Amino acid sequence: QETISLTIASSHPTVVPWVGMIKTHFMARTDEILAKGGKYKIRWNEAFGGQLYKANATLSSVEEGVTDIGWVFSFLEPAQLPLSQVSTNTPFTVTNVPVLLEVMETLLESNEAFRKEWENHNLKVLGLTATDLYDIYTKKPLTGIGDIRGMKLSAPGVLGNWLRGTGANAVDGALTTFYTDIQTGVSDGVLTLALGALPIKLYEVAPYISRFDAAAAFSGAIAINKDSWDRLPDEVRNAMIEAGKYYTVSHGEDMVRLHEDALNKMVELGARQSPPVTIIPMPAEERQKWVDMLPNLAAEWAAKLEGQGVPAKAFVKEYMGALRARGVEPSRNWDEGL
Amino acid sequence: MKASSSSMSAPASAARPDWLRRCWAFVVDGLAALATCLIGILMVIICADIVFRNVFGASLPLVSEIGALLVVLIVALQLASAIRADRLPQVEVVMLVLSRHAPRAAAALKAAFALTGAAMMGMIAWATAGILAKDVASGDFIGTPGLGTLPTWPFRALIMIGMAVAALAFASAALRHLLDAVTGRIDTHEPG
Amino acid sequence: MSPAEIGSLAIGALVVLIAVGMPIGVGMLLVSFIGVGLIRNDVVAMRMLGQVANDSLEEYLFAVVPLFVLMGLLVTTSGVGRDTFDVFQRLLRRLTAGLGVATVFANAVFAAITGISIASATVFARVAVPEMRRHGYTRAFATGVVAGSSVLGMLIPPSLLFIVYAVLAEESVGRMFLAGVGPGIVLALAFTATILLLAHTRRPFVFSGGADTAAHEAVGAGALARKVIPIALLIGLVLGGLYGGFFNPTEAGAAGAFGALVIAVLRKSLDRRSFWNLLVETGQITVSVLFLILAASFFSRMLALSGMPQALAAFFLEGPVGPYGFLVAYIVLVLLLGCLIDSISIMLILLPIAVPVAKAIGLDPIWFGVITVLAVEMGLLTPPFGLSVYTIKSAMGDADLKVGEIFRGAMPFLAAMLFTLVLIILFPPLATWLARL
Ligand code: NA
Ligand code: NA
Repeated sequence: QETISLTIASSHPTVVPWVGMIKTHFMARTDEILAKGGKYKIRWNEAFGGQLYKANATLSSVEEGVTDIGWVFSFLEPAQLPLSQVSTNTPFTVTNVPVLLEVMETLLESNEAFRKEWENHNLKVLGLTATDLYDIYTKKPLTGIGDIRGMKLSAPGVLGNWLRGTGANAVDGALTTFYTDIQTGVSDGVLTLALGALPIKLYEVAPYISRFDAAAAFSGAIAINKDSWDRLPDEVRNAMIEAGKYYTVSHGEDMVRLHEDALNKMVELGARQSPPVTIIPMPAEERQKWVDMLPNLAAEWAAKLEGQGVPAKAFVKEYMGALRARGVEPSRNWDEGL
Repeated sequence: MKASSSSMSAPASAARPDWLRRCWAFVVDGLAALATCLIGILMVIICADIVFRNVFGASLPLVSEIGALLVVLIVALQLASAIRADRLPQVEVVMLVLSRHAPRAAAALKAAFALTGAAMMGMIAWATAGILAKDVASGDFIGTPGLGTLPTWPFRALIMIGMAVAALAFASAALRHLLDAVTGRIDTHEPG
Repeated sequence: MSPAEIGSLAIGALVVLIAVGMPIGVGMLLVSFIGVGLIRNDVVAMRMLGQVANDSLEEYLFAVVPLFVLMGLLVTTSGVGRDTFDVFQRLLRRLTAGLGVATVFANAVFAAITGISIASATVFARVAVPEMRRHGYTRAFATGVVAGSSVLGMLIPPSLLFIVYAVLAEESVGRMFLAGVGPGIVLALAFTATILLLAHTRRPFVFSGGADTAAHEAVGAGALARKVIPIALLIGLVLGGLYGGFFNPTEAGAAGAFGALVIAVLRKSLDRRSFWNLLVETGQITVSVLFLILAASFFSRMLALSGMPQALAAFFLEGPVGPYGFLVAYIVLVLLLGCLIDSISIMLILLPIAVPVAKAIGLDPIWFGVITVLAVEMGLLTPPFGLSVYTIKSAMGDADLKVGEIFRGAMPFLAAMLFTLVLIILFPPLATWLARL
């Protein structure tokens, strides 16, 4: 039996579900498959949680071989991975995470420009990740989307775009800053995910969760450095490809379940605080009002990329088409009027 | 950190011609002055952001991204000046004893340390050149499209220049200590 | 060689290089570069070096370093520290050894507007020591009180050391600041008790002559108010803004620096030249701190690649030593390093190794941070290299004053710090209660 040493790393800690699943699903399944063959064994050198690099270098660290395998956070790489931003620039389209991941997986095979933007960074994509659904967490209860006019809402980088046209002021922030942002009055609320809000105890300071089910977004991939990949024997490569597919599927299913669990957990944990955590389900009309207030984000974004020679218009069309083909009904037809 | 450092400029080696020395001082002091201005700018843009957010209710775009890059820039641009003023933290006990009993050996050791520093800074500058080339090629930017962006390459170029000048500052210190070791001149460059 | 062995060797090599006087940052870069080269290869080592230089400092939070340093230097030149001392001097003039206690209290309050302890040491060496000498206190005691109480500057928020810890341990800066408040108050009380105890049991150590007959400067109520207002405003601006709802830590630094600048300008204590020099000095201190952080990031990344911290954690977890054995060994190591190196360097060398271990064996990271900062601060008072002591020596500009005398005067305060440290170890809520509120 041959032992192969591989470093696997992430900027985020393993308590973040998609990072934890790298261990429990991707690594475990790879080990399992290889154990059956009996010829190879991997000795994983784990460096999760920012030990090797921070969130600002997830792509270059895999690209340059600082780690062999790592989770690439595409949200923070708009310049290097332009087409991967498609889901954040076509918001309120898809809430079904498994379908979103399935579509991205197909596009990675069918759309050359999309595949190239990853492969040109000297890496091979093994599995894909997405977010759960975005909602608005506030100090005071909302009755509709109109109430956020004039409010200061924290949102991570890209998502500031989802607040344009709503009259709310986007305050740039990250999961690590949201709690104090609210507590100190830097902002009045946060546009974020249940899975992110739960561990940072956001509900303690922003107990009103207006459930818009705004959308899920494609967030990145587990990828392996191409040089490391080329050195691996075929049997190991096949095991990793299979484990990666398994990771993507399990990840999608888990996101749906975990999202509901996280919301319930927050209600449970915050039941006795004052005011208690309250989920306000927003009617479909309010959600639609929000979408309609937004400027034509997709057209703006695609035009800019086309200017740089990136075929973004065709990609938006292919993306929306693939979603519709799987029964998704977008709240706004971003592919019209590009 | 050192408690204090009274001399801001090191006595330059006698071997170097005067015009070169002045030119060199101009580069090092110029970069340090630029970094010093950046500290003031940093304070001003952050205060402006506070005012905008609390009075007009809106964040200024790019403040946290620019703030983060300015920190890297301030360090890179000021590094050469800190090296020249001998302000990098170090343990002085052994060196003080050695300087008293074997000044030549102490100077040689200092030269070796400075050479190591020159090599490390040189490699950082070289690696940064690679990052700069990539930033230019891919049009890398900070910020969010739609909300405001800035290209990263000008920052990167300044970081590279700062690190390269820091390497030269170390090399110049190495030369000075090496001359001291050869001539046996007592090191007059005692900080504090 | 296994990666873990390479990691251990790198630590050993670093210790030797630092001991013989290589700049600490350069030493860290060198051993990390060679370490990564051996664990992976030279290409990866080179790329990591470039990446570390470009991304490890690219953090909005780090902007607090120059800003708090600038603020500290501005309040030092504008006489805010002197005013604080005058107020407490007036309030405590009837107490035995009242000037000593006034120094401690003034330091505690001044600490709330400065994040660097050298600022406190500079200010009070110039303000409090001459006044105490005039009132017949011994030079050793007068300088010792200032040296001792200057450590409050880093324990009571804002504090550069807590910022550095928060960054390395991935804790919230706001929380770490709150964690320092309780221990800061306890330490101030311990210092006060020490002074009163000394004044009653070791009189010759405290007072040189007979009874204190020198007159106290008469400060009227109006003047007193004028002296209180600037510092109260600054505290309100920085801590009030931070906890009361306006800024994050970086912004508190910017607002504080700006506020201090306004006060300095209004008091006409700055001309263009001195302001520029002050900015240059800010830059120099900033670089020496942040360059170390940069180098330490590379060092900790190299260690992560080597798997050494995990092996070390397993040793403390499964071996006969246990968590408290680890804690004691760690504190002893900090105190030993404190004899030789400055506070931030100690943290940057040890924390990349110690924090993963502490987390793995289940120590509360906030509590661990407070213990670290307090133990590290003791190094400011221990010979041969005690930064506070040297700062006082250079601020006094008195050729007669021997460093050994200041060290001797600071000894009782070092003991008070040790006592406080033990107290915090035995009663963790002293540190964690407010932070977790
Ligand atoms: Na302080
Ligand atoms: Na010491």
